Amino acid sequence: MLQTSSYSLVLSLQFLLLCYDLFVNSFSELLRTAPVIQLVLFIIQDIEILFNIIIIFLMFFNTFVFQAGLVNLLFHKFKGTIVLAAVYFALSISLHIWVMNLRWKDSNRFVWTDGLQTLFVFQRLAAVLYYYFYKRTAVRLGDPRFYQDSAWLRREFTQVRR
Amino acid sequence: MRDHSGLPLEGHPRPPRALPPVPSDIKDDIPLGRPKKKKPRTKTPLASASLEGLVQTAVHRPSESSEPPHKEPKEHVEAPVPRRQKKTRLPLELETAFTQKTSSPPLLRNENGIDGEPAEEPVIQKPRRKTKKTQPAELQYANELGVEDEDIITDEQSSPEQQSVFTAPTGISQPVGKVFVEKSRRFQATDRSELIKTTENIDVTLDAKPSWTTRDVALSVHRAFRMVGLFSHGFLAGCTVWNIIVIYALAGSQLSDLSNLLQQYKTLAYPFQSLLYLLLALSTISAFDRIDFAKTSVAIRNFLALDPTALASFLYFTALILSLSQQMTSDRIHLYTPSSVNGSLWAAGAEEQVLQPWIVVNLVVAILVGLSWLFLSYRPGMDLSEELLFSSAVEESPDKDKGIKASS
Repeated sequence: MLQTSSYSLVLSLQFLLLCYDLFVNSFSELLRTAPVIQLVLFIIQDIEILFNIIIIFLMFFNTFVFQAGLVNLLFHKFKGTIVLAAVYFALSISLHIWVMNLRWKDSNRFVWTDGLQTLFVFQRLAAVLYYYFYKRTAVRLGDPRFYQDSAWLRREFTQVRR
Repeated sequence: MRDHSGLPLEGHPRPPRALPPVPSDIKDDIPLGRPKKKKPRTKTPLASASLEGLVQTAVHRPSESSEPPHKEPKEHVEAPVPRRQKKTRLPLELETAFTQKTSSPPLLRNENGIDGEPAEEPVIQKPRRKTKKTQPAELQYANELGVEDEDIITDEQSSPEQQSVFTAPTGISQPVGKVFVEKSRRFQATDRSELIKTTENIDVTLDAKPSWTTRDVALSVHRAFRMVGLFSHGFLAGCTVWNIIVIYALAGSQLSDLSNLLQQYKTLAYPFQSLLYLLLALSTISAFDRIDFAKTSVAIRNFLALDPTALASFLYFTALILSLSQQMTSDRIHLYTPSSVNGSLWAAGAEEQVLQPWIVVNLVVAILVGLSWLFLSYRPGMDLSEELLFSSAVEESPDKDKGIKASS
């Protein structure tokens, strides 16, 4: 059974990482006085996304549903989060590489092209969706039903099998 | 023979009587008071005030009879020892119920080969009853209400022998099926089984009451975020309105003074763009939370039904896309230098061409955000996520109970 204190700790960590992500997404364009600042910010952001994905998977592994072998049920329930996290991670890394590649020589240079703008829009939109789904999943995993056998779980399992 | 005289004495204090022979109105004290009262009585029989008369008769009787009184079935004990037994046990015997009185004494007499007085017949029964009742007594301490049914006498039987022996037969109390519970300073008879049921129910409800579960943590975090979202909705609406007012004020009438706008606004453009993204992201997430966007079917149904919250979510998302699409222009404004300066991004006369769509998009964003804020204000308490995520537990619990019942 999930302990309340450990769950609170994990949830705070997840929210902290999400807040950092949102902060970097919002203000990284402003913090570009030196290219190395942006580089560090981007590297930390990518590691943070990876950390968040690892944490959410560890939370999945901790559930009774997973331990009972019903991985399919978990994937079915949280596939939005898993897919979006992966997509967002890929988009973030590609945008960061592109932007850093263009700005490394001169950080205050106008670097925008249509392609970069498109990637930027998709990355930022994916970020918002990722925040929403990730937050929802993290909060949902606090539900004690995921950590014990119940009639609800059996019903869900039969629904998924259909 | 005399060496054995100590045996009954040793055996004396050990088993407390199963059913506390107390008058019915002080039955609540039965399990606790009983063993303490008993021990002093074995040493000083006259100490007990309530049963004094009975005890005295019990003490006197053996002294009148010269014969050695009865012994326990398989022990050979001389006269002084049974006397002590009687001293201690007779009062108990008086108080407890006699169910097998008439049948057992002759049998015992045959076993021992000693004829006892008919008055002492109740004493002979004791060993048997004692062995029977020691275990129920222990159980009784564990559960005050768990009295064995066989100990309860439903029909009152008073043997003629008993009345002839004891002078004060009126004070006899017997265990009954009722338990007397004090309610509003009066003792009222309550059915024992009912009382057990009610106490069990209370235990169950107490156990089922959770303290601070992970669900509560999740719920509090969710509500905290909803509060942040509520703040960001209003702040975002105010910001965009202020922004569009500033833009139009700086641009002058009919957008005639665009260079002034660029000069003044270039320091503001990028910070505002960043702030706009932050607030739009928070507002969009909060609006998605309210319609439970992850459940696509519910969200689409609400949107088609023109639910204000679903509309607000859609408008926020549109505003977010529009705002993000102006990132390039914002950066261009941010890097503004007059066209006369070498390497300027702004060609002379091209300002209006770039700025007009940007101003229009900003205006549209301000309108969308303002409308969303209005729509959300229409039903500020709506939160489908909370209802769907956390209320399902309430629905689930009866099923769970059913499952438990079925398995048991």
